[in-house]
Amino acid sequence: MNNRASIIGVGSTKFGSVLETPELKDRTFQELAAEAAFEAMDDAGVEPDKIDAFIVGNMLTHTSQIYSHSTVLSDWLGMRLKGGFHFDTACSTTNTGLGIAWEMIMSGKCKNVLLVAGEILSSAPKNVFPLDRKAVDAQTLWEWTDYGVDHVYAYHHFYDVASAYGAFPTIGYMRKNKLTFEEMDKAMMEVNRTVRKHSSLNPKALLYSKGTLEEEAKREGFASVDEYWKSAKNPFFAWPTRLFSALNTADGFTASVISAEPEKYANKLPVDIAGFHWTTSNFPWYGEDPTDFPQDKLAFGEAYKMANIKPEEIDYLYVHDCLQIYQLILSEVAGYVPKGQAWKYAVDGKFGFDGEKPLNVSGGRHGGGHAFEASAGFETYEIVKQMRGEAGGRQIKSKLEVVVQHNHGYGMHTAVTVLKKGK
Amino acid sequence: MEPIVKKWYDGLAEGRITGAKCLDCGAVTFPPMTVCRECRSRHLETIKMSGKGTVVMFSSTILPAKPFADLAPIPYGIVKTEEGPCLFTKIEGVDCSSPEAIGRENEKLPAPAEAKVVNVKGLNIVVFKKL
Repeated sequence: MNNRASIIGVGSTKFGSVLETPELKDRTFQELAAEAAFEAMDDAGVEPDKIDAFIVGNMLTHTSQIYSHSTVLSDWLGMRLKGGFHFDTACSTTNTGLGIAWEMIMSGKCKNVLLVAGEILSSAPKNVFPLDRKAVDAQTLWEWTDYGVDHVYAYHHFYDVASAYGAFPTIGYMRKNKLTFEEMDKAMMEVNRTVRKHSSLNPKALLYSKGTLEEEAKREGFASVDEYWKSAKNPFFAWPTRLFSALNTADGFTASVISAEPEKYANKLPVDIAGFHWTTSNFPWYGEDPTDFPQDKLAFGEAYKMANIKPEEIDYLYVHDCLQIYQLILSEVAGYVPKGQAWKYAVDGKFGFDGEKPLNVSGGRHGGGHAFEASAGFETYEIVKQMRGEAGGRQIKSKLEVVVQHNHGYGMHTAVTVLKKGK
Repeated sequence: MEPIVKKWYDGLAEGRITGAKCLDCGAVTFPPMTVCRECRSRHLETIKMSGKGTVVMFSSTILPAKPFADLAPIPYGIVKTEEGPCLFTKIEGVDCSSPEAIGRENEKLPAPAEAKVVNVKGLNIVVFKKL
């Protein structure tokens, strides 16, 4: 048995497109997974032969053309003859993987575990050769992605993810807090403004080179962010949710090395996995109140119990923001901000990396990009860099002893992990 | 184990909308599954749903799922059935022609609704019509 499991190394590719982004172009899934894994192992100071097992996440086999992920990737990662398996909880995978690694280590079976995941959403092979690819249109991509939702009943009843996962929770939040549409729309604009501020400071983020929302509004010829927000460039995805409040899909690969013996490897601050919990629900994920997903309340509560923390001790929170309304809903469910107040925190800019309650400072799933099973790893990367003081221009200056990472996996898994600064 | 799903869809073809009532806790699971959604019991009996419900909210996406793209725009909403469970489905009798219309219509909700079985591309499903 071991008595701790700490993240000692993290890696991430740039989030972009294998068809266009120079850092990703002309590379196979295997090579990009290796890039993230090597960065994590180098960061940890761990050689491949010291890794006891590796676990791999990837959701869309339509685009990766891989089923037996651990075997196919083993040689490329330097993991030949190591124990490994593919696992999947959709977009929460690399968060769930932290808990799985904890279990593998605390059981005593492993000293060091490599967690790696990747997703390609821009394109699929034209036939069987992975480097000969064609772009995938949004509707086809969602057709494949929606296999994560009940296809026995729900899908055939005109299933609409923009409404179910975006519009309804937003309408629910408006009604619960007695907000007018104008107040809600302004709050969501400010959420996006902060999202873009963060991604403009994160070189690995999808929208890094697009700058801030202010800069983009000017470039597009608008006199103000408000004008841009309300323009035809930002249509309603499903009223009252606008397009800019939704995710941007990306290709990306991330990795973490988790160890029972951080003191043996790189001389960098380890981040301890202090607690975690997972929950699952088939569709529908909520009843009459779309702001109340029972699975999230339970996951936060049990993770906090395991880590022996109270919400007021959280110094930084990441919540799954495929639709940015969850920044408001889940920051309240997590107990990070008082109930009914998150929209005001957003309007006042308090969720900025330099604000009172830093939230999603990587740029999240809109600014950072969403590479399904790799995305949670992008946030773990951010958390570890932040806790070490390595986050550059978006460094949170206030104390970072306790951090909570929440992810949803479509549709719907919840993973919540509590991370504490190690010694 | 009985073929629950097939029986449900066969029932729709005959105009019957059914759910599963739990013999242990009394909750209704709709549409029916292998266990009670509330208490996980497998002791279930088939019941006929009343077909009555309340439309809680609705919206409409600009990116409908591929199978329904040629039927857009589709008003999609949450209906709380009289028996308790919520069904997410098409709502008839509401205007989704513009974001402003959707906003205005939502201000009139919640409102009563009744279920109907419709055939969509060869499959019978349940939609609700706002009364």
